[in-house]
Amino acid sequence: MTFRQFAYRNVVRNSRIYGAFFMASFFSVAVFFIYSMLMFHPDIEQGILGEASLLGMVGAEIVLVLFTLFFLYYSMSAFLEARSHEFAILLHLGMEKRQMNKLVFLETMIIGSGSIFVGIIFGFSFSKFFFMIVREILHLDSLPLYVSWQPFLLTIGVFTSAFVVISLISVYFTRERKLRDLLKGNDYSNSVSTYSKIRAVFGITLILSAYVLAFIVSNTSWIGLALLIPFLATVGTYYFFRDSLPCFLDKARGKRKFHWHRYRLLSLAEQTHIMMDNVKMFFVVTMVSTMAFLSVGILATMSSYTIQYDRLNPLGLVYKGDVDNPYERNHIASLRIQLEEKGLSYHLSRFVVIKQTSSYTQNEVEVFRESDMNVLLSSFSYPLLNLASGEAVFIPYSEESLKKLKDRVVHTVLEENSIPLTIDSVYPNIVFPGSIVSVNSIVISDEDFSKLRKPIADKDVAQPTYHLFTFYIPQWMETKDIGKDIGELAANQYFYKKNKFSPFYFENAGLNYSYVLATYSLFTLVGVLVATVFLLAAGSFVYFKLHTSLEREKRKFDVLKRMGLTDTELKKLVNRHLFPQFFLPWGVAMMHSAFAFLMVQGILKDIANISIVKEVVFAFGFFVLIQVVYFYLIRWRYISHIRS
Amino acid sequence: MPILQIKDVTKVYEGKVTHRALNQLSFNVEEGEFLAVMGPSGSGKTTLLNIISTIDEPTSGEIILDGMNPHTLKATELAYFRRRQLGFIFQDFNLLHMLTVEENIVLPLTLDQQPLEVMEERLASIVEKLDLTSFLHKRPNEISGGQAQRTAIGRALIHSPSLILADEPTGNLDSNSSRDVLELLTKINQEKRTTIVMVTHDPIAASYCDRVLFIKDGEFFNEIYKDDRRQMFFQRILNVLSLLGGGQVGDLSTIRLP
Repeated sequence: MTFRQFAYRNVVRNSRIYGAFFMASFFSVAVFFIYSMLMFHPDIEQGILGEASLLGMVGAEIVLVLFTLFFLYYSMSAFLEARSHEFAILLHLGMEKRQMNKLVFLETMIIGSGSIFVGIIFGFSFSKFFFMIVREILHLDSLPLYVSWQPFLLTIGVFTSAFVVISLISVYFTRERKLRDLLKGNDYSNSVSTYSKIRAVFGITLILSAYVLAFIVSNTSWIGLALLIPFLATVGTYYFFRDSLPCFLDKARGKRKFHWHRYRLLSLAEQTHIMMDNVKMFFVVTMVSTMAFLSVGILATMSSYTIQYDRLNPLGLVYKGDVDNPYERNHIASLRIQLEEKGLSYHLSRFVVIKQTSSYTQNEVEVFRESDMNVLLSSFSYPLLNLASGEAVFIPYSEESLKKLKDRVVHTVLEENSIPLTIDSVYPNIVFPGSIVSVNSIVISDEDFSKLRKPIADKDVAQPTYHLFTFYIPQWMETKDIGKDIGELAANQYFYKKNKFSPFYFENAGLNYSYVLATYSLFTLVGVLVATVFLLAAGSFVYFKLHTSLEREKRKFDVLKRMGLTDTELKKLVNRHLFPQFFLPWGVAMMHSAFAFLMVQGILKDIANISIVKEVVFAFGFFVLIQVVYFYLIRWRYISHIRS
Repeated sequence: MPILQIKDVTKVYEGKVTHRALNQLSFNVEEGEFLAVMGPSGSGKTTLLNIISTIDEPTSGEIILDGMNPHTLKATELAYFRRRQLGFIFQDFNLLHMLTVEENIVLPLTLDQQPLEVMEERLASIVEKLDLTSFLHKRPNEISGGQAQRTAIGRALIHSPSLILADEPTGNLDSNSSRDVLELLTKINQEKRTTIVMVTHDPIAASYCDRVLFIKDGEFFNEIYKDDRRQMFFQRILNVLSLLGGGQVGDLSTIRLP
């Protein structure tokens, strides 16, 4: 048997021990490969998603590699730890340290090349499926499968070097231990680290202050403070695991009445031990899960924004111009021609909007005519308005305004022309996008409208009257290229010639939507990947840690079984043993992300006026489900190991 | 009335290599007796102990403990039976490393959901008897082997079991600690009339018992009873062991007449 054969047999015959490490590396390879398949996709390289997406994907790929490196290193050292007894025997038989390093290196390379091979095959066979999902999410026409050498080469290159680096590093950093200790197997670390009460309080204070800050930011939109929050939360979390929890557990153990109770005696003591031993792991898992939650939450937010976009922007094109706008005739004509060339059906409505002063608030109101409004409403097939003289209706500018204005009754007079009005309702649908209509917009009857002769008295108002042209286009997503020249002209007029006011304003919902979609797709591609890997890793850290201490745990349960532990009690004890390890970091991560979303929601309220509560709750629920499944899966493996 | 009856117990391990660990072994243990089971390695001592402690089931034959056959019980009842009727002492102590000494001792009571007052009261009396007071709050890895074994004895005694099973309790101890532990076991046996079955290799340890039972290859070989003097008893144990030992010693050559 040569040395190489020995290494090979070690791996093949120890498949149970190596299985988990193999799975971890295999999965990372597969994810990486699928992702590079997407990155090197000819369609995407041509930039159908925009330059930003490509850049984001490269960035995500780098993050992925770095994280995988860390993750593989961690699992590798966990397995070396688990095999220390075996190494001890080899060293005892007279193996040189150098030879042992070579052995570890060879074994890692065998597993590594195996997992690269299987991972690529697996990744390649699932890449079509992945492309289909991406195509659906991003509303692409087609994303065909392709074969190219680039993704293969990249994956093989990256992971081969990763395995070389990891095997060298993990051997180099393995703790030197005495042969006698190694032979005895995994000894319990005698150095029980101590906590300090000051740091315990400090940790909790930091976390709480981060929460309070998040709360403040969400209510005052004082965004500068938000930069401080990640720092506070990170440091706070570390001290929370390092000092606050052990302190708390120790206090609980001090109370005999509480502590000496059935399973508590064992599980409290165990938890204290686990906590103190694995501070770093708990900390890393918490932070990693927080990041995964956040990226998925942001995704959910983006998707909710794209879904709500349709409702918030009911009109395809909107053109708004001064009364004396010189381009008006040309522009409207050109828009109509372009729409007809594209073969898109549309419904044009014209409005004359007059600004007046309301006696009720002394603010400016924009007044629309009933018959103009009805033309637009009939194109939407919404219910028409039927107003008598002296009646008026609010035009809602957002979802929230709908609720706010619903039960409001206002008696006012349009001051310039002394027309008394009673505004007693709000139109039940959003008709104009929020950027077009002002906060105070009403519709009045044709009869009253014809009496509006005198313009608004306020001299600061530049346009006392304006014309509004709305194109209702059922296929509004395809209007991306229409009116590009007008949009550019508006931008030039406004930005480059430094005219104080552009005489017209043009909005293309389809074009804006394509921007939103591009950003969304970027976040989707990056977020889904990062979240998957992070989630997997967070679970696996716990699993590897459990795996290392399996033999010890088995011995413990053997003793307990002999002492008369029933099977149900054993399961309960295992639950109490595993539950905190799984759910404590996740719980803390959930808390962190919940506050982060509270803040994001607060900020978003001012900018985009959308609600993300539903999406976030849904995403979190999904995570809890995954966690529970994962928990039961590992619990099942764990119990079967312990019973065997 | 014997507290433990072993009746024709046979244990066969099936597997790739079928192995008969116990072969029609029968003996009784009287209440309050301190019995040592001796035999060379592989003679089936540990299997016997496992069967008595209901961890393992005999292939045939039965054991009667306190008037009942525990192997007819269901798994849960069996666990309750072990928890209340049996106490265990192991060679490598098997203390739980994350618990302190006193927590290790009260563990059987907490599993059995005894009230705190009972636990504290029993703990106090046991601790005093075993002289553990000074290191009650230490961890198992901070105390010596003798102290650890005394802790384990405390754990085996605290629920006043009807039978204590000890598996090489002195195997990991130096001679002084061994003597302490054995004297302690003798004292407990005499004062509380607790029945003890101890499996051992060590003839010195066996010489503290009332009776020594020898088994060889899973079968009953011999038994001897205590003498007035421990020294004499020890000598007799050695004699039996030498018979038991190397294969040829037992087979006395026939006398050849000239």
